Order: sequence, then structure tokens, then C-alpha cells
Amino acid sequence: MTAMTLSLAMAAGSAQALTLYTAGPGSLAKKLAAGYEKQTGVKVDVFQATTGKVMARLDAEQANPRADVLISASWDTATDLEKRGWLLEYQSPNAEPVPAQFKTPYYVAQGISALGIVWNTKSGTTEPKDWGDLAKPEFKDKVTTPDPSLSGASLDLLIGLQNAHAQQAWKLFEDLKANGMIIAGPNAQALTPVLQGAKAAVFGAVDYVSYASVQDGESVKVIFPSSGTAIAPRPMMILKSSQQQKEAKAFIDYALSPEGQKLVADAWLMPARTDIDAKRPLFKSLKLLPEASQASASRKDVLERFAKLFGQQ
Amino acid sequence: MNRNALLPGVTGIALLLLVAVPVSFVILQAVFPHLDTGVYSAPFRAFTRVFAEPQLRELFSTTIKVGLGVALCSGLIGIPLGALRGLFALPGAALWDVLFLVPFLLPPYIAALSWMLALQTHGYVQQLVPWLHLNDFLFSVTGMVIVMTLNVFPVVYFAVSRSMAASGSRLADVARIHGAGPWRAFSRVTLPMALPAMASSLLLAFTLSIEEYGVPGALGSRSGVMLLTTGIEARLADWPIDLPGAAVLSLMLVAIALCAYSVQRAVVAGKNVESMTGKPADITQKRLKGWTIPVLALFTLVTLIAVALPILSMMATAFSGTLSGGLSLSNLTLRHFGALFAAHGDALSALSTSLSLALGTALIAGATGLLASWLVVVRKIRGSALIDGLSLLPAALPGIVVGVGLILAWNRSFWPVTPYNTWAILLLAYCCLLLPYPVRYVSAALKQIGGNLDAAARVHGATAAQTLRLILLPLVFPSLLASMMMVFAVASRELVTSLLLSPAGVQTVSVYVWRQFEQGSVGDGMAMASVAVLLSLTLMLAAVRLQRKPLA
Repeated sequence: MTAMTLSLAMAAGSAQALTLYTAGPGSLAKKLAAGYEKQTGVKVDVFQATTGKVMARLDAEQANPRADVLISASWDTATDLEKRGWLLEYQSPNAEPVPAQFKTPYYVAQGISALGIVWNTKSGTTEPKDWGDLAKPEFKDKVTTPDPSLSGASLDLLIGLQNAHAQQAWKLFEDLKANGMIIAGPNAQALTPVLQGAKAAVFGAVDYVSYASVQDGESVKVIFPSSGTAIAPRPMMILKSSQQQKEAKAFIDYALSPEGQKLVADAWLMPARTDIDAKRPLFKSLKLLPEASQASASRKDVLERFAKLFGQQ
Repeated sequence: MNRNALLPGVTGIALLLLVAVPVSFVILQAVFPHLDTGVYSAPFRAFTRVFAEPQLRELFSTTIKVGLGVALCSGLIGIPLGALRGLFALPGAALWDVLFLVPFLLPPYIAALSWMLALQTHGYVQQLVPWLHLNDFLFSVTGMVIVMTLNVFPVVYFAVSRSMAASGSRLADVARIHGAGPWRAFSRVTLPMALPAMASSLLLAFTLSIEEYGVPGALGSRSGVMLLTTGIEARLADWPIDLPGAAVLSLMLVAIALCAYSVQRAVVAGKNVESMTGKPADITQKRLKGWTIPVLALFTLVTLIAVALPILSMMATAFSGTLSGGLSLSNLTLRHFGALFAAHGDALSALSTSLSLALGTALIAGATGLLASWLVVVRKIRGSALIDGLSLLPAALPGIVVGVGLILAWNRSFWPVTPYNTWAILLLAYCCLLLPYPVRYVSAALKQIGGNLDAAARVHGATAAQTLRLILLPLVFPSLLASMMMVFAVASRELVTSLLLSPAGVQTVSVYVWRQFEQGSVGDGMAMASVAVLLSLTLMLAAVRLQRKPLA
């Protein structure tokens, strides 16, 4: 009986579907998959989780890779995979209107999120204007932050802050720690206590999750700090190991088509193409942290230092 | 293969596939850290590396502490309530039994999240009772222990109450007739008789809590408490992954569980508390008289805390428009339930995936369990010790370890076909984890059947298979069915291995709920959880009804 069930499962698993691994909004991935399937007739199997989990799965499967297309929430992960030689070179014709900073020969942004402070307007605290405000006594034990080892975008913020401010950034993290800031799992787990009012603000929340909450009627506000913030372009890439490179390329084309980019905008992300409208502030209007003066800090070092500071190791 | 070897052969292959393969690969990976690349170098290097890590000691000691804490607290709640339920004619006894089943059916991680939404600052409890500050209590090791206890204590309650009801009062009455006072009769007769049930259920509470991922996973990050299970999950599912480290921690967890099991066996083995002779005995329970009100108040209190609070918190979230809106009529909505039916049929496909997987698991685990117990108890074939061991081993295996083992075993390029990355891998995982349920139930039922039925059938020329099918199966069917229902209920909400093993495009109910939480759609997740809990409660009650026996 077991053998029979197994062979049935085999048959079911070998259908010609495209496999998409994605961090970020699952509903967006589903909509892109549905739109692409409608256009091409190719089914898309989606595995959606946090960046850390998506990358872990990719890593675990390296002997026998499964993913065709990968959408990460951290630009850094794409750079890393390119260095390993895992990526297929592809430039979509639809990537034309994507600004040069958001594409390379190997990967291109699907959309862009920014990091900010998410503040509960009913928390009885004054509205924070900059990162440092969250280290003030008013926010004692009232701040959460996503775990950078799980959330790619959150790690991008740490790297951005360190590149911009070097030692000053670590002073800020130490002050926040001393003020009782806690690390609370991936993005949403850091947001949930703020929604209910157990905490007052998230340090470095991904904006699109919060905009979606605001749309649902939650009393929170997304604040982009005055000293600047980091944006997290979400790279899309095709794995070199993919058996279905033609379909994978077509998927990238679809995600970058006006129709696909409209779906991206509907998920409260900034579209990667400059010719698509969004219902939220675009990166042109955001004050960004200055570029790194020397070589960018390595993600591993930043992660380890941060984890040590917050006693996770 | 001749006819006589067919059934043992099938059973042996099933047990190898379900249990031996994943376990061996965990051991191999722990010993050979480069196994995943096919190299057998640097044996035991992972052990030295993991043992040298400074946080290991804390991981280990916190796990033991939590396990002992849960066992102790489950005893404090479960033993007195179980004794009252077993020895006295408690008004509404069946109702209390059903209510105490609920925490057992509530998936632990959903319970933990419900507790969080109820008890954190500005949570539901504080919205109703503003001066009650339980936030810091919840996010601590103690809070974790209490939340786990409230999930686990029914195991102790049911074991103690059934054991006391079956044996306690009749022999205690004999003692009373011979002049013992009520307290003396209780402490010298009733209590010792129930001791094995207490010991084994307390140790079960211990193992259940050290294997648990949901509660530490949900509460741990906020309170900064890491246990072995969360440590294993982090090594396995966060980038960069550490397969050998996860395998070493897995073996440590199995070692603790096996120690607990051997302690349990040692406690139970030396005592003969057999009081049932097979003759019908009239179980008379004493009346509570003046104690009725206080006892009922006690049961109500425990029910309110352990059952009503988490369920209400879950429902409140499922029916709330926004979390920041809090508890108010204007915040009431059915939107989250509506979302279950929108969302590209995602929620519905998760429900049907979970239900079909649970059905498949119940059938396979039921069949394998029946064959294994028959071969061991009735046929007593050669190698039955091995079959017995393999079929009960998963009881000491945390779900996360089985998940690790299945990834290690099946995600290899050398298999011509592999269940990995199909739903079949989930079926393998569930069958492995839940196999002990049918084995326990069916073995117990088979042991009660006298050997002469089997012998009579054989004398009249029936083959072994015919005897099993025509004589024994109908007799043990109620027990088998009940255990399969239990398997169905647990499999339909399993989280840990599902999170690790679900292939792209396949979502179970638990994974769906977890992902909703991860993306901030707490309301949608709780709506799905409410539907799932209602469903498993219905099934559980159906199982009890089909068995036509009081809840056990």
C-alpha cells in the first residue's frame, strides 16, 4: 500500500510546473502565479516563507535543486548566489524601465520596500521622527524589531545604517538594547504586539506589511526617519539548475510586465518600473541613507555582532 | 515470498521505511558531518563542535527545566482533578471529560498565540480587567511552562481518573470494611494502585513538553528563551543551515526522551496493580455530599483558565476587524472567515490537503499498527522484539527529528524516485510519528483476547491471515477505530514536520495558519484555526461515540 501511494505521489510531482521560492507577501506570489498561468498555461508551485527560510531550503536542496525562480527580500542574498555561480544570466526586455541601480545581468528587482518606524497612534507616546527617538525613556520597553537573521529587509537596514554611520550605528543599537527593545521573530511577529498595543513601535519594519495593516483599519502609522532609511529592492533571479529556463524567463517577463507590476503595486510595494503608479510614497521621495564610503559590511559580520549584542548567541 | 512470510514481510518493510530510515540518517548525519555532500570524513567533528558551544548548556538545562516544570504542574492540576473524577460521582462527569479534551486538540502554537493575544499588555484580559498585568509573567520560562501545562495536563487527568475509577474505590471499600479510616484507605490502597498511571502520564507530559515546538516557537522569541526544539529548527530552517548541528541536537533530544521512557518503564515494571479479573464489577462512586459545590467550582475554574480563555481569545481575534480596535461591538466582523473562501481557494485547498493526508495517515498507520501488534502479541514471531521496538520508537521521537531524518534520507540524488518534495513525504512523516497510537491501542485489545479463539480457528484449518481477518479484527475493531480517529485528529493539525517538509505548492492547515501569522494576517489565521479546531473536536467526539465507551 505504501509503495502504491508513493508511486502515485511520484506521478503527481513530476507535472511540468514552474517552482517559485519567494520571501514576502504570499498573496502577491499567488496572484503573480495565477496571472502567469492564465497567460502561458504553465502552473506555478509556490513556496513562500521568510528570507532566512527560503534561503535555508535552497541550501538544503543543493544536491538536488528544486527551485526555478527565486524572489528574495534581500539584495545581498542575490549577490551571494551570483558569487556562488548559481544564477542564470538573463535580462528581460521588460526590465527596460527599471532604474539601473535595481538590475544586474543576473537579477532584477521585482519591487522595492522601504524600512521605517511603525508607530501605534493610540499608544500614548509622541510620534517618533527619527531612529534615535526610540532609544528615549518614553519608549522604554515599548519597541520591537524584526530578527535580521530571518528577515532580509531588516538585515539590509542594519547594513545600511552601519555603512552610513559606522560606530554611531552600533551606539544606537546598544542604546536601543539598553532601552529594552526586543527582537521578535520575523517582520509580522514584530508588528503584531504593536497592533494590539503591547508595544508602541517597531524599529525597522518593512513598510508594505504595515501599509496593508493600515488599509485594514489598524491604528498604526508608517514613519520614514528624518536621518534617512534603507530601501530593500527584492531581487528576482533564475537558478542555473532550472530545467525550465524558458518558462522561468517568461515568468520574470510577466512579473515585470505592466500587469505584473500593477500586482506588485497593489501589494503596497514600490514597483520596480518607474512607469507604474503606486498608492504609496515612492523611493524618489524618500530620504535614503548615504552610500557606503568603503566596502559594504559583510552580512555575516553584521548578523553575528547584532546577535551577540542582543544575547542571542 | 510464500504466504506465511507475506504479512511479516510487508510489516517489516513498512517499519523500515517509516521509522528505521529517517532515524538512521539522523545518526549518520550527526556522525559524519559532510554526509550531505557524500563524504564520510571528519567523523564526530559535529559533536565536538556543538558540545563546545557556550549556549548549549543553557539550551539543554532550559529544556530539562521546562520538561520537569510541565510534568510537575500537570501533576498538580491533573492528579487532584483526576482523583475527584475517578472516585466520586461528579455531576456532569462526561461534560468535564469533553471539556478537558479541548486543550489536547488545540494545536499548541495556536494556544500559545491565543495566550499571547489574551495576556500581553493591552491584550484581551487587560482590556477587560485593566489592573491585571500578566505580560511579564507570560513571556518568561514560567509562563511557557504554564501555557504548556494547560495543553498537556489532560493526559494526566485522564490517566489518573480512569485508573482510580477502575480499581481504586472497590479495594478501598474493602479496606474501610476492615477498619481503615477514609484517609488511610486512600493513602495505603487507592493511591498506590494509581501510582503507575500517575508515573507514566507524568513522564508522558515530560516528553510531550520537551518535544514541543509550537509554544517555545511562539513565546520564545519574545522572552528570549531557547529550547532544544527551537534550536534545532533554527539550525535547520534559517540561513545558513547547519545540518550536522541539527542532527547532533536531535540526538540529544531523543536521548532525553529515551531516558524518560526507561525511567517510566522501571517505575511501572515492578508493580502488579492488576485488579481487573474480567468478571463484571460494579463500579460505585462515592457521593460528594457537602463538597459538591467547592469541587464543581474547582472544575469550573480550571475549565475557564485552560479551555475557555484560549478559545475565547482565538475566537475574539477571528471575529475582530482589527487588533488595534480591541474588544468592541463595532470591531466585530466576518471578514476573516470570508477571506478563507477568497484567496484563490488557498485556504480550502489547505483544508482538503490536511484532511486527505490525515485520512491516508489513519489508514496506513492503522494497518501497519494492527499488523505489527498482531505479529508481536498473537503470532510472537521471530524478531518480534525488533518490530515492537520500531513500532513504539516514534513515541520518543520529536516531530522535528523525524522531519530532519526524512530530509536527510530522501533529498539525495541517488534515489531513482523519491517522495521528497511531494505530499508523500508528509504522509511518511505523519505515519512515523503517529504509529504508536494504533500499536498501543490494538496491542492492549489483543492482550485481552484469550489465546483459545486463535487456536480454535487454526485447528479448523484457517490460515493465520484468515484468523486475523475473520476472528481478531472484528474483536479489536473498536480500539483500532478509536486510535485511527485519534491519528486523524492529530495529523490534521501537525505543524513542525509540515513546516519543514511541505513542498512548494502544498499547504496544510497548520502551515497556512503559521504563514498567515508570519505575514501579519493574525485574524485570517485565527479564523482558519477556529474552523480546524471545530472540525477536529467533531471528529474526536465521533470517534468516542463510535467506540461506544466513555472517554478514555
